[in-house]
Amino acid sequence: MECGTAVIGKRSIRRFAALVGVLLLYGARPAAAADHLVLIASVNAPVSSLNSLEIQKLFLGLTVVTNGIDLHPLRNESDEAMRQLFYQDVVSMSEPVYERRLLALTLQQGRTAPPVYRDTRALLNALAADPHAVSYAWASDIARDGRVRILKLLGRE
Amino acid sequence: MGMTKYARRRAVVAILAGLLCAGVAYADDMDGYDHVHAGSHPSSEFVLFASLEGHEFSAPASANQLNEDANAIGDAVFAINRGRFRLFGEYQLSDEEHDLERFQVGMEVVPDTVVWIGRFHQPASAWNTEHHHGRYLQTAITRPSIELWEDEQGTIPQHLSGMLVDSRRPLGANAGIQLALGVGLGTVIESTGLSEFDLLDPHTNGRRMSYTGRIAFLPDYVGTSNLGLLFAHSDMPVRDAPTAALLRATDVRQDLYGAYTDWNHGPWQLHAAIYDVSMDLEGPGAFHSESFVAGYAQLERQLPHRLTAYAREENSSDAGSSVYVRVNHPDFQLRRATLGLRWDFHRRQALTAEWARGVSVRENQDAIRLQWSAALP
Repeated sequence: MECGTAVIGKRSIRRFAALVGVLLLYGARPAAAADHLVLIASVNAPVSSLNSLEIQKLFLGLTVVTNGIDLHPLRNESDEAMRQLFYQDVVSMSEPVYERRLLALTLQQGRTAPPVYRDTRALLNALAADPHAVSYAWASDIARDGRVRILKLLGRE
Repeated sequence: MGMTKYARRRAVVAILAGLLCAGVAYADDMDGYDHVHAGSHPSSEFVLFASLEGHEFSAPASANQLNEDANAIGDAVFAINRGRFRLFGEYQLSDEEHDLERFQVGMEVVPDTVVWIGRFHQPASAWNTEHHHGRYLQTAITRPSIELWEDEQGTIPQHLSGMLVDSRRPLGANAGIQLALGVGLGTVIESTGLSEFDLLDPHTNGRRMSYTGRIAFLPDYVGTSNLGLLFAHSDMPVRDAPTAALLRATDVRQDLYGAYTDWNHGPWQLHAAIYDVSMDLEGPGAFHSESFVAGYAQLERQLPHRLTAYAREENSSDAGSSVYVRVNHPDFQLRRATLGLRWDFHRRQALTAEWARGVSVRENQDAIRLQWSAALP
């Protein structure tokens, strides 16, 4: 009986382990697919939070000051889903309208467009080096980067 | 001392070319984004607005060179921001003319309040403050006649050289208010029309100070809809003796009051403005006052497939009987109806077809235009 119990136990453990493995694999996809876009800054940044209007102004290249410091926007275009979320949830306008608005602001006010990064690692390096910089990234991409911190949840993939 | 006019012009052009190159170099430098420094954060922008146009007129075109009808135009815009410091320039080159349209040095003294020194577009023009020389950014091919530049036989001075304060302040949660005031050396009247101060060939003799401004309500601080009131005062000496004889004036003082709106609602856009222009024409032993009203409304509708249809009506009152208009601005459109269709394609490129029927002091004219416009890169 003891032996039999031990055999059943091993099988049960194997089945349980397989089930956990499948569940983990299955569960991992929705977790990655449902990543969050977050507004981020250096841990040394003097900014603690920004409201929606300030975020919109910032990424249109307009001046946003917090604690007496001019903030520097950095755009993150490291993947297509992020680009779409940026237009939808951050600046709240379509890509053509946003591009046209940037052009008009250059022509009308001599403003310059925010610099664009196509690699999150390079963006995080720039962000860490500039305490006045503000950007956005997937929460999963910054989870283990101690140089930056989250200011706000912007949207969900 | 001893520097000839051409040498001085070459020197100024060389300086400007250097500044343009510096702007481009800044842009190149920032491409790698290896130089992000806290505190200074230099950034730059270089945009070339280009357009090619073909047209057919039912009557001969103006005897004057109208840049509005130039076949090819390139408008180079550069902006350099370093902290609160701004440097901005706009140089236009066409087969009709080349001109340093704007050259400004500015300081953002508080957020969204910039004090500019240099040559700028006066803020009392509704259309030009929105579109400037960037043809790609205006849906229509032509601009309303009352908004024409000085060298296109425009009736209202559009460039000043002096100081401009441009400020936007929040109003409530999302709205804002804009106040812009400009003061500077204005235009003089010559045989070809108005002549503004040229930074590349500066002559201040006889020019007088002009004042101009606007106050506008912005329902959405970061949006494009706005409406406001405009005013300007220009004191324009008449430099050309035959023109002075025709005008019976050696000095024209022009006061302008206006109202405008640029309004977006879903796929619809409205650009409308009305100006009341009054003038005192004064010469030795002669004085004459006159005024006219001119305005326009342009309605645009975005359609599927990145098409935009538009219609514009321009009209005026008493402009046809104005000595100032008849003598010096015979191509001013007393009335004009315009229809057009624009197709935006690729990235920052558009094709536009436009038909217009207008009435000027000189003639009636139908015009058909086809234009390619772009903002590069």
